[in-house]
Amino acid sequence: MANKSFDGYTLLAPAVVFLCFVFVYPLIQVVWGSFFYGGFSFNGYARIWAVPVYRQVIGTTFRIALFSTGICIVLGYVVAYFISSTHGVLRRVLTAAVVIPLILNVLVRNYVWIILLQRNGPVDHLLSAFGVAGDSRELLHSESAVMIGMVSSLLPYMILSTLASLLAIPEQLRHASTSLGSSPIRTFRRVTLPLSLPGAAAGGLIVFIISVGFYITPALLGGRRDLMISNVIAFNVNETLNWKLAFALGTILLVCTVTAYGAYASWLKKKLISHGRLSY
Amino acid sequence: MTSFWLNLGKAALAVPALLILAFLIVPSLAVVPMSFSDSMVYKLIPEHPSLVQYQSFISSDGWISALLNSFKVAIGTALLATTLGCAAAFGLTRIDSRVRAILQGLFVLPQAVPSIVIAVAMYFTYSKLGINGSIIGIVMAHTAMALPFVLMIVGSAIHNLEPSLAEASRSLGSNSVRTFFRVTMPQVYTGVLGGALFAFHFSFDEVVLSLFLTGASTKTLPVKIWDGLFFEVSPILPAISSLLILIPIVLFVLFMTISANRNSRASAHASDGARPLDAQDKEEVVMIASPAEQSL
Repeated sequence: MANKSFDGYTLLAPAVVFLCFVFVYPLIQVVWGSFFYGGFSFNGYARIWAVPVYRQVIGTTFRIALFSTGICIVLGYVVAYFISSTHGVLRRVLTAAVVIPLILNVLVRNYVWIILLQRNGPVDHLLSAFGVAGDSRELLHSESAVMIGMVSSLLPYMILSTLASLLAIPEQLRHASTSLGSSPIRTFRRVTLPLSLPGAAAGGLIVFIISVGFYITPALLGGRRDLMISNVIAFNVNETLNWKLAFALGTILLVCTVTAYGAYASWLKKKLISHGRLSY
Repeated sequence: MTSFWLNLGKAALAVPALLILAFLIVPSLAVVPMSFSDSMVYKLIPEHPSLVQYQSFISSDGWISALLNSFKVAIGTALLATTLGCAAAFGLTRIDSRVRAILQGLFVLPQAVPSIVIAVAMYFTYSKLGINGSIIGIVMAHTAMALPFVLMIVGSAIHNLEPSLAEASRSLGSNSVRTFFRVTMPQVYTGVLGGALFAFHFSFDEVVLSLFLTGASTKTLPVKIWDGLFFEVSPILPAISSLLILIPIVLFVLFMTISANRNSRASAHASDGARPLDAQDKEEVVMIASPAEQSL
């Protein structure tokens, strides 16, 4: 058995060493640099704290991420519930339809939204047909455009994870509920919804974590160079070469994301253990 | 009576659900008709369909070299990520469960950390090492990011392994390497192939890391598209985007063809004995293992 372990570690060594050098070491440099670049100081963090624009950006980032996640949860649940109510070929076709946008390049997806949302574009014409005034039709280069782009990128993940949790509910529970006299709405409210909500919430958490780190979508659809945290980081690296600030912002983003992901992972593990699907 | 309302309810649910699905799919497919337009302004439905955009793309040095760079990087990533990932996936099955949990955490990190942070970190490190803008640098970066996915895919293929075949091979005298290539590999190679194709697709489509880590001569296709979106209104972007859609479709078809071949061979075996380990499998294992015995 010791031999088996040794084989295991030998096989793992290249990948682990590779990741440590190529991935972990640069990240450590970022965290280190946020304090020590150009001499030890808290300048980077102090600036983020003191200058209002950075707090605004952090607030904007979380606001956009929160709204996009909320929309994704609602829309995702509707679609997932519908798909879970279908069977056989139709269900497979619909599930494939959900997966298709995922193979698309993020640039192409956002670029199409630029075309659709631009002035005199299709959406503009659609809205004016509904009588929406000229000013409110300025969709492109705004937070709303970014949210639309984000939702269209993240919805498939949300749908798939909610669908998985809906399909995991044993059919007998619903049958039992209806055979005991519940109306379909009551069955949904008292049986289906509570059982599927944890899975949907987990999907929502992942979607939120991903949204906070978005870079391409706000850069293309947002209209400003510095809408979300990732854009400000890029700005400081490319334009102002303020490495310390970029490192500080990056460390904050890194710590928040990894912590949130860790919380999600330990919640998932507890859930799997309690459901008997994990043995340690 | 109740079933009428039930069906009505289901129909009522279908409408918003289908609308949302349309919201997802239509933009994805909108570039295709756009790519046949010949005007300088983007038109969703072209007035005079033509292949002008595709012709401009093929005759443009800049775009073709970007396409070649993308291919080089993607192939390199697929090879490196699959090798490291396969070894790691097998290694994970043999070690202590506590260490395994920690390592699995490490392997999931590239997926969990925002790309911009990774991009900036690598940009800084690569600049200090002087390898910024090199092909090998981007290949390493893409490999690091693709590794979690390869591990997942290969890991689930390993999960479905039949352990007794490998044990039989070892007990008949084959060494580890022979056993691996002749017994284990044929069982998991669909998963390995899937991992490799995924790594290829991931690298080909990757934007954020490539933006920071490529140089003028090593620009990949997504980076050039990005430039086109920001700095010049390039009318051939729809054609390039359509080509980008084509790549994963081709990869998917490739994957399905190869794994279908494998499945039809496997089901031919099963029709002999309808048991997972039939006489033919055992014979194969003996035949593979015995030359090693003879050389003793």
